[in-house]
Amino acid sequence: MKSDKPSGRKGCSCTITSAKSDRRSFLKGLSIAAAAGSAALATGCIPDVNAATSEEMKLRWQEFFKDNYRLMTQEEKDATIARLERLAKLQDDLDIQMSNDPPIDRVLYGYAFNITRCEGFMECVSACVKENNLDRKTNTQYIRIFEMEPGNLDPSTGDGQYFHKVPVENKFYMGTQCFHCENAPCTKACPIKATWTEPDGIVVVDYDWCIGCRYCQAACPYYGRRFNWGKPEIPKEEVTTKQHYLGNRIRPKGKMEKCTFCIQRTRTGQLPACVEACPTGSRVFGNLLDPDSEIRFVLKHKKVFRMKEELGTEPKFWFFID
Amino acid sequence: MSRHRYTIRTTQDFPEKMKRRSEFMIMNRTAIMPRLLLVYVFVIITVVALPNQVHASESSFLDEIKDTQEKFDNRAVEKVRPVTRKTVLAKERYNGRHFRVLSRKNEINRFACSNCHTDKPVTVNEGAELTHANININHGKGEEALTCIDCHHSDDRNYLWDKKGEKIDYDHSYELCGQCHFRQKRDWLGGAHGKRVANWAGERVIYNCASCHDPHSPRFEKRYPATYSPPLDR
Repeated sequence: MKSDKPSGRKGCSCTITSAKSDRRSFLKGLSIAAAAGSAALATGCIPDVNAATSEEMKLRWQEFFKDNYRLMTQEEKDATIARLERLAKLQDDLDIQMSNDPPIDRVLYGYAFNITRCEGFMECVSACVKENNLDRKTNTQYIRIFEMEPGNLDPSTGDGQYFHKVPVENKFYMGTQCFHCENAPCTKACPIKATWTEPDGIVVVDYDWCIGCRYCQAACPYYGRRFNWGKPEIPKEEVTTKQHYLGNRIRPKGKMEKCTFCIQRTRTGQLPACVEACPTGSRVFGNLLDPDSEIRFVLKHKKVFRMKEELGTEPKFWFFID
Repeated sequence: MSRHRYTIRTTQDFPEKMKRRSEFMIMNRTAIMPRLLLVYVFVIITVVALPNQVHASESSFLDEIKDTQEKFDNRAVEKVRPVTRKTVLAKERYNGRHFRVLSRKNEINRFACSNCHTDKPVTVNEGAELTHANININHGKGEEALTCIDCHHSDDRNYLWDKKGEKIDYDHSYELCGQCHFRQKRDWLGGAHGKRVANWAGERVIYNCASCHDPHSPRFEKRYPATYSPPLDR
């Protein structure tokens, strides 16, 4: 995705560091950077005057001055996803379909994980990485699977980096991800309200409003959030083109991201990618406000517990035992 | 209900309790005898009246879920795409509701079995495969180990049969499996075992037993995980 485009397109900082730049282009880039100021240089958002088209400049200008997603009217939401689709085409030559599907009425998502049944195949992790356009370079993952000794229920005591044939006798496997707390500490820590809980219970991030301060990451007691140190690198043919504004669209550099229960899928009635990929059926997902749903069956008939329940964060993610 | 959820999230998260606490401190600072009586009254109010409120706010989220008994119409969810795989209507119900299971017959390569299992003699080259010699039965341990006709009907090969001798269709094998694995079946009916196909909404379609488990060797084989995780603290 990245290799086939001119190196100067991304911004001045890239131009300076690119290997093939000679002295003249170096000085040229430096002068542009100096004119624009060092603060702007750090963000890497100054376009190369030769590379960026006027259409791209216009779209980026409009994008820069848009509102927080929660304050946008429906027209503004539609306008911004149209701009982002066009920008993806102009910048990365990607044909994406972005949605802004609203929450479904009378739906509150909940999730349960069967620690008896999980065998540690990690199909969920690779499905999540693929679905959510996660950075392949730093190997960002929303889900972690821990190989646990019997008797322990705290994932920090488990082995999160196993790679051997599974399942191993007398071990069990426990998966963690964002638990979508009903009383989420991360949303309170955000100084600019770029992250919040949607009415259907999904904790989301407005990637364009986020300033990348990572307070939310520090506030999360579950290590549920990830930070983009660079722009995600994904092979072009592996990009998931069905995207959501609050979900799996390719994050800009320097933004927080996290599991969104695959908001682009769940709001159209689909299961999250991890649930669909799980070969053992350890993952249960459904509507907590539907008394006939699978998740309600688990809560009613199974022994369930939540991680660090004493913190009062009210995660909507239960572990259960067969 | 939705109004209640809204108040949980959007009011500044220092509820009644904190306000009262600050009130309490102001009173302590001006601690003179007439005021002490007020403090005493206040403490009584706090002890008697507040616990109810605190209890209500602490457990409201789960109470709200448990109190929701109103049926939710999964089919009313818009934009749900129907399952494309072949399904059959299950013979059982959950909470009085019908659901569908994945068909098994169209997954079996050489169904119908009566194509070969007739009175006519069959001459073939791949005898070993066509006589099912490639199947290793690893179902049940020791004396409990199963043989072919424990599940397959001894006379009509197009069907399975249970221990009472009732014919069971391949598409409804859960009725056969459930006679031993009744706990799993109960969980499967409710949704704690197995899973739905593709959608959480829309018509309920769930995986059949044999969609995931090889009935001849139901335990999953050991294998390497699909990926690995980088260290936590980078």
